[in-house]
Amino acid sequence: MQSSTPVIIVGAGTAGMSAAVELAQAGIYSIVLDEAPKIGGAVFRGPYREAIELPHLDSKLRKKISNIRQQYHDHQTFIELRLNTRVLGPAGQHSLLIRHKEDVSELSYEQLIIATGCHERSVPFDGWQMPGVMLLGGVQLQLKSGLVRPGQRMAVVGTGPLLPLVACQLHKAGVNVLGVYEAGKLSDFAKEGRALLNRPVLALEGMGMLSYLTANSIPMHYGQGIVSVSGDENINKAHFAKYTDDWYPIDGTGTSLELDCLAVGYGFVSRNQLSQLFQLEHDICPTSGLKPQVNVWQQSSQDNIYIAGDSVGILGGEGAMVEGRLAALSIAQNRKILTPEIVNKHAGTYFTLLHKVKRFRAGFDRIGRRREGLLSLLKPNTIVCRCENVPRSAIDDVIGQGVKDITSLKMRTRVGMGDCQGKTCNSYCQDRLGYELKSTDIGHIKPRFPLDPIPFSALFDGVQ
Amino acid sequence: MDQYKELMEHNNKLDRKQDIVPPSGQFTQVWLDNQKVDAVLGENILSVLFAVGKNAITQNDHAKVSGAYCGMGVCHCCNVQVNGKHKMKACQTLIEPGMRIDTQTNRLEEGF
Repeated sequence: MQSSTPVIIVGAGTAGMSAAVELAQAGIYSIVLDEAPKIGGAVFRGPYREAIELPHLDSKLRKKISNIRQQYHDHQTFIELRLNTRVLGPAGQHSLLIRHKEDVSELSYEQLIIATGCHERSVPFDGWQMPGVMLLGGVQLQLKSGLVRPGQRMAVVGTGPLLPLVACQLHKAGVNVLGVYEAGKLSDFAKEGRALLNRPVLALEGMGMLSYLTANSIPMHYGQGIVSVSGDENINKAHFAKYTDDWYPIDGTGTSLELDCLAVGYGFVSRNQLSQLFQLEHDICPTSGLKPQVNVWQQSSQDNIYIAGDSVGILGGEGAMVEGRLAALSIAQNRKILTPEIVNKHAGTYFTLLHKVKRFRAGFDRIGRRREGLLSLLKPNTIVCRCENVPRSAIDDVIGQGVKDITSLKMRTRVGMGDCQGKTCNSYCQDRLGYELKSTDIGHIKPRFPLDPIPFSALFDGVQ
Repeated sequence: MDQYKELMEHNNKLDRKQDIVPPSGQFTQVWLDNQKVDAVLGENILSVLFAVGKNAITQNDHAKVSGAYCGMGVCHCCNVQVNGKHKMKACQTLIEPGMRIDTQTNRLEEGF
């Protein structure tokens, strides 16, 4: 096989860029596609505009943002970046359909690395569709890349290690942070102490954040969560309560805050729409619905397609870095550029690190495992599918009429048929149907080609 | 007369109040709902909207108003009209000099 054919990498986040750098170190060219204007993925993308100082971001994050840019800089002879570029899906054998502004074109590959990361899980509750309710990662992007405050008085609600981190960043950015609401109980964290100590530095950083919150009088409430939000055009109030072990709000424990923006974070879902369109083999996954099958080298059921990072299973930045490098090493070995001995020597430390990351992550996953009580946060008229304006009552009706799988639910109610292709409402629909039928065998909302809408203008000007 | 025009333009300009650090770099101006606003090359439309405190952004095909939700191109809840083109994602469209941005417009309502 020719070593000059570039490997195509979808996603310039941690997984994609570490794969590109590892390939470059072996002298292999790559083309990296990303929909954003900068590399680094949602976590390490950094400011979009020039900024002399970033007082709200800690020095470790600033260092990582500059590291990833430096690594690209050092290896750019081997890496062709194509930013602001969307992958729309497969285009025949060994080819992708891509869009850059109004230009739609095909890009062929011999080997493909899918590193599309994740998006956030939506947990609908009464009022969640109003302006002012934002997903936690979306809030973070405004702080890190937009350099703007999405609100003036805010609270952070959900579960997971990102909650205190975002609360600290918001406070340092000048936002009045009124409280952090973690659905997991403090005793759950104590139980997972051993798992969390697999990454002692991360655990210590977490402790540092908690003491920052205490020092700045930002209350951290464990075992509490969202009930609803209310307002006129924009939200102006959020209502919280203590949760039971199954995360049902407990009557009579409610509190309210006056605020203009609420950050909601109940975890992440793999972006595996592309691997689904390629018809790769997937397993059923309690976190993301589906999980593409990969071997220890991140190789999928088609041997020239690799999947690395959060798009194959949510592990965060360190896991993504390791998986990207393993995929690259495997490609270098298959191209007979690196010997199996060298590849195994490099891979050894990566396997060890990946194992520790997985054990650390499992601790948080057990605490943050979403519980059935979240399904009780919707009133009959609460919107489930924002794109198609489908309320909960429409879903209740068709479940009452005997719908037993997600595709029928979609056909009957139009959930998931809008512009976002169900990425926002799918988690609720999946959980709800699974809960009602006491089964995981309910199918899943299938992604459609193209993965993102193409304007007519692009069709007229682009494909001739 | 020119002074009057300048004054009118000044009064009609939106202030950026939500920037975390003072804007620096290459400045330009864009039109947001027929009002002028300063923008910096490199940033996207969404950060300009947040900077001036504009949270209610999109009117969807069912006449419901939404604001930025995922902030990363997944949810289509921050669609705006850019230079007459509908359904452009504010979170994934970069600022260009003189750009006209209109919020809460919808093609279904305007007709074709």
